[in-house]
Amino acid sequence: MSETAGRTLLRRPAFSVAEAFGGFRLWWLVLPAFLFFLAFFLVPLVSLLAISFNKTVPGVMTLTTAFTLDNFERIFTRSIYYMSILRSIGIGIVVAAIALVLGYPLAFLIAKTEHPGRNTLLMILVLSSMQLDMVIRMYGLMVLMGDTGLINSALIWSGLIHEPLPLMYNTFGVVVGLVQVTLPFMVLSLIGIIRAIHPSLEEAARSLGATRGEAFRQIVLPLSMPGILAGSLLVFALSISSYVVPALMGGWKVVVLPIHIYQQIAESGRWQFGAAVAAVLFVTSLIAVFVYHRAAVWTSGGRT
Amino acid sequence: MRDEPAVSLLFKAVAMLTLVVLLLPVVIVVLAGLNAGDYLTFPPKGLSLRWVVAFLGSATFMSAYIYSFVLALVATLISTVIGTLASLYLSRSRSGAAAALRGFFMLPVVLPGVVLGLALYIFYVATDIGLSRTFAGLLIGHVLVTCPFVIATVTASMVGFDLSLEEAARSLGASPWTAFRKITLRLIAPGISAGAIFAFIVSFGQFETTLFLTVPNHEPLPMAMYISLRYKFEPTAAAAGIFAIALVALSTVVSSRLVSLRRVFRA
Repeated sequence: MSETAGRTLLRRPAFSVAEAFGGFRLWWLVLPAFLFFLAFFLVPLVSLLAISFNKTVPGVMTLTTAFTLDNFERIFTRSIYYMSILRSIGIGIVVAAIALVLGYPLAFLIAKTEHPGRNTLLMILVLSSMQLDMVIRMYGLMVLMGDTGLINSALIWSGLIHEPLPLMYNTFGVVVGLVQVTLPFMVLSLIGIIRAIHPSLEEAARSLGATRGEAFRQIVLPLSMPGILAGSLLVFALSISSYVVPALMGGWKVVVLPIHIYQQIAESGRWQFGAAVAAVLFVTSLIAVFVYHRAAVWTSGGRT
Repeated sequence: MRDEPAVSLLFKAVAMLTLVVLLLPVVIVVLAGLNAGDYLTFPPKGLSLRWVVAFLGSATFMSAYIYSFVLALVATLISTVIGTLASLYLSRSRSGAAAALRGFFMLPVVLPGVVLGLALYIFYVATDIGLSRTFAGLLIGHVLVTCPFVIATVTASMVGFDLSLEEAARSLGASPWTAFRKITLRLIAPGISAGAIFAFIVSFGQFETTLFLTVPNHEPLPMAMYISLRYKFEPTAAAAGIFAIALVALSTVVSSRLVSLRRVFRA
């Protein structure tokens, strides 16, 4: 989250707690959290990866040392599985693009709002919509977009259509749902970088005869690129990771990776195979997050 | 050129549309929970408190709300304590290990929630340590996903912290513990409170990590609402949503008074 903040702190001279507290060592403070994460984060994650290399035996979940690539071979050779990887990635890209187009203007507006009260209000609106339970937001969307939902019943009531439009339980619904839940992350990724662009750059371009649109395209937009990249990758990673949005808005008809994982484990008891699908999802989102991190470093580097 | 507004009309229009996309589902949940009919229809049938009353007496949703509240409270308590201690180390140590650990502690946020839940589930079943589908097992998952928020918030609140204040107290004769308690802790208290609030909200609304860890017949609120949405639309769930929305809105306003939201979310 606040990587820059952490880095600024690291540059400060360290307070010698060790010497002040006698035998006390500074790193003792980090020990409880570290051990907790080691036991309940790192070890489980390694177990998940290890078991994904075991042969799939339905209903049996024992880690053995007989490692095989069977599960992964199956994922990458059967169309039902590799198509769902492609579907997840495709949906992630579309959602990132839409979130960018919708999110950039709002981020721009927040970055340019000087009035402190209005600025805080906008920030609170974005943040509370980000933090609100996704299931609750999906409830709202489903009431809006269902066959008997508000949009369809309003259109039928007004006589514009006679059959309800298929807005939900399909890919369209999943994309709308994912855009709704990821938008705040896009907006937050962009505000900082837009604010950091010095207004005089735009003014200079304008005084040299550029129109407002030209100044935006040639100055502001290129300078926002690190934020655009970071926000898009974050939204992509969040979109391919989501289970609840495709489950509700797609009604299990849009089978993306998280849905596969759940079905393998909860319905077929095929632990090893489910773990392998989870490993594929994990690695895909790790790559996105890694690139995101590089982009974020670039962003903060450009700011200071 | 200077007298034109800073933001063009097109941008303002799209920004408004984006705000509508963000807020409309929330407004609809509130309306669905307050509507008089059996289902929110167009045109609406009028307002009533019948679903709110139904929620308050509902065995499913009221107990789920309380369960989520208790779970979030305990998870927040644990992650605030271990997260604040870790933050003290992370913000003061200059070693490379601290930088690496910082990244490590942020990992549960970037890991897909379903994968984290499954990893824990597999770990519980494989080791047979009695955590599978228990409150403690679910709690561990929630501590993992909330701790990064505490660490991010507390370290951010220490950015402006002047260590010489603590040193001044020490040179005036305060013991290390007294100097820490009376100076440092007081100054970073808003950051800790804000971190705790974030942790609480994240746990309270957590669905993905919960999926594989739920205790049978003891669903947290997001899970109970999910089950209800999968099979039938109950306005009672929307009424439960109203109480959750109120909780989140209140917490965000309170935390915005405690810390700079921009700094925490790097915006």
